[in-house]
Amino acid sequence: MTFPLRGFSVSLGILCMALAGTASAQSDAARVATLKTRLATLARETTQVEDITRIQRLGRAFGYYTDKGFFGEAADLFTDDATFQWGNDGVYKGKARIKELLTRQGGGSMKEVAGLPFGRLNLRMQLQPVVTVADDGKTAHARWREWGLLGQYKEAISWGDAIMEDDYLKDNGVWKIAARHYYQNFVSPYSDGGWARLKPASSLVSKVGQEFPADAKADAFPMFPLPYVPAYHYAKGKLTAIMSDAPVTAPKRADDKIGKLEALADVKALALSRARSVRAIENLQAMYGYYIDKGQWQLASQLFSKDGSYEFGQSGVYISPAHIEKALGLMGPKGLEAGQLNNYVMVQPIINIDADNRTAKARWRSDVLLARAGKGRWGGGIYENEYVNDNGTWKFSKLHYYVTFWGDYDEGWTAKPIPMDPPNKEFPPDQPPTLVYESFPKTHIVPFHYNNPVTGAPLPGEKE
Amino acid sequence: MSKPLDILTGRLLLALTLVGVLLAVGISKVSAQSADAELQAIEKDLNTLGTRITRLQDLTDVEILQDTYGYFVDKAQWHGLADLWTKDGTLEIGGKGVFLGKDRVFEYMHVGLGPIGPRDGLLIDHQQFQCLPTIHDDGVTAEQRCIAFVMSSGGWGHNYYENDYVKENGVWKFKVLHGPFNMYSNYKEGWIDHVIVNTFPEKFPPWPDLPPTVIYLTYPSYYVEPFHYPNPVTGKPMPTPSPRAGGMAFGK
Repeated sequence: MTFPLRGFSVSLGILCMALAGTASAQSDAARVATLKTRLATLARETTQVEDITRIQRLGRAFGYYTDKGFFGEAADLFTDDATFQWGNDGVYKGKARIKELLTRQGGGSMKEVAGLPFGRLNLRMQLQPVVTVADDGKTAHARWREWGLLGQYKEAISWGDAIMEDDYLKDNGVWKIAARHYYQNFVSPYSDGGWARLKPASSLVSKVGQEFPADAKADAFPMFPLPYVPAYHYAKGKLTAIMSDAPVTAPKRADDKIGKLEALADVKALALSRARSVRAIENLQAMYGYYIDKGQWQLASQLFSKDGSYEFGQSGVYISPAHIEKALGLMGPKGLEAGQLNNYVMVQPIINIDADNRTAKARWRSDVLLARAGKGRWGGGIYENEYVNDNGTWKFSKLHYYVTFWGDYDEGWTAKPIPMDPPNKEFPPDQPPTLVYESFPKTHIVPFHYNNPVTGAPLPGEKE
Repeated sequence: MSKPLDILTGRLLLALTLVGVLLAVGISKVSAQSADAELQAIEKDLNTLGTRITRLQDLTDVEILQDTYGYFVDKAQWHGLADLWTKDGTLEIGGKGVFLGKDRVFEYMHVGLGPIGPRDGLLIDHQQFQCLPTIHDDGVTAEQRCIAFVMSSGGWGHNYYENDYVKENGVWKFKVLHGPFNMYSNYKEGWIDHVIVNTFPEKFPPWPDLPPTVIYLTYPSYYVEPFHYPNPVTGKPMPTPSPRAGGMAFGK
């Protein structure tokens, strides 16, 4: 009795050990399965960030084609049955019609391969994208700003200002423009005050639209000097365009083969989160600019963290979204009035995300095109901003605009520079200006948040 | 009777257990091998993904480099600017010809454009717009098309960049800066009249190391700087523009 029992208990012991081995193999299998799921998620998210950059590329390629009269190439960026709403002219359908529309609007010729005639300027700069890729990765939307330098040498020249809202489709792995809504705000003469003394047009349909009628009508919308806000594709639901991954503290991984891979996945995931954050901040800054354009002070202030700060020129520092909203309101009434232009163009980004994806800094340039009471004004300046990753949504923690110059439209910035405004007396700032300086004709170097990207040397400002 | 049976049962159990253990060891050996292969596959996939993620950061980095160049021109930060080049990188702006090496990049700026640092009353905002970067498959070379939109004391300027970059020891640098002018005009009248024509080698010192790589005319004439990239949708290279482009007979 005893022997077999002993034998049994010995065998049981061995069996238990074997089972224990299987049990740890089981948990390894679970860890590997988790890794595989993570890998699939990372791959999908990498594609999403790549998609944002591909859509930016599409929009910019469009600009470079139309600049030089490659209208067929520009039309090739659209799907076969794409639609193009040109201002109040209506909707053009299909590639062939879009090609002719762009050719006629750009001063090209349907008889020729690419090019423009002598003296034709058709610079349509494609700026300030806000790109949102849908969760399924098959469709996307973007808002763009077009700033145009147009005209014909010795005849007439003009400025162009438009907002575009695009729909995109991924077709066999290639992004294409499926629908473009081109909300022209104005085409103004260069002389006679530029955009500032424009009168409401007697007809909203352009000359090209009259000669080359659209295929379908579009909903009419008011153009400058009347105020109008083209609908934002990101108005409803979550602002995924400004979202990234919430900050995480990398867990301590086991010191085994699988643990090493888990740690490697953590590193890649953080790198991807940071790449995604770059695009989120790009979108955030652009979004802010679009709200400021239209006097949407509340929407703009909601892009700040609860202790976020706002400083413009020598007007002092305002802290908290409530104060920021009121400070922004010093620029004009909510929604702006007829004849008021408030374009803040956001360009030339230098975005640096901190190593842990919790905070970020960025330098931007802003050109400003204003109109108040029939007077136009130019502005130029630099933003040095700070951002915080608020549980996966990027917000401004500090926005600081340094004025390079203000200049009168009629005389120009050299002949008639305009000094900065002092702090407002009726709604004084929470803090005085953090740095005292004068704008043009005085010059100053706005401190850089980053070191020389090649040498790593700090940038204190070189002098002779 | 019962004892031998018990013994037999015991031995049988032991034998079965041993077989079981042997099987378990065998399986775990096999599964250890397949698990290793699985882990290697995961590691490979993670690193492939890592390369794609690095490319995303590369796109940001070459734009940062180009945009930094623009901010440095604004304020005549010529030492910092020249440091953005590789030792033997080149610069060609407008019609001035080619300058070879970092030191000559500095000289072009310092002798050609003026002393270091901002000067009161002089505005030279050299804005970088619409950058379209391409990172090549090797991960260490890149190209980028950008617009420089200039708002300066002289008025307006618009030129293109088609630049080459190289990643040296993990750092992106300018290898070739090629910036053909497009349109320069004064402020008062704009580009309707009195536009400023392209520069040329003898226009101002320093003299170039090599002649211009291409001779072209600026606005109101027509020139297109070739695109470094094919059409993003069709994949086709840029077609040759009409030989009549830039003339009054275009389209007639």
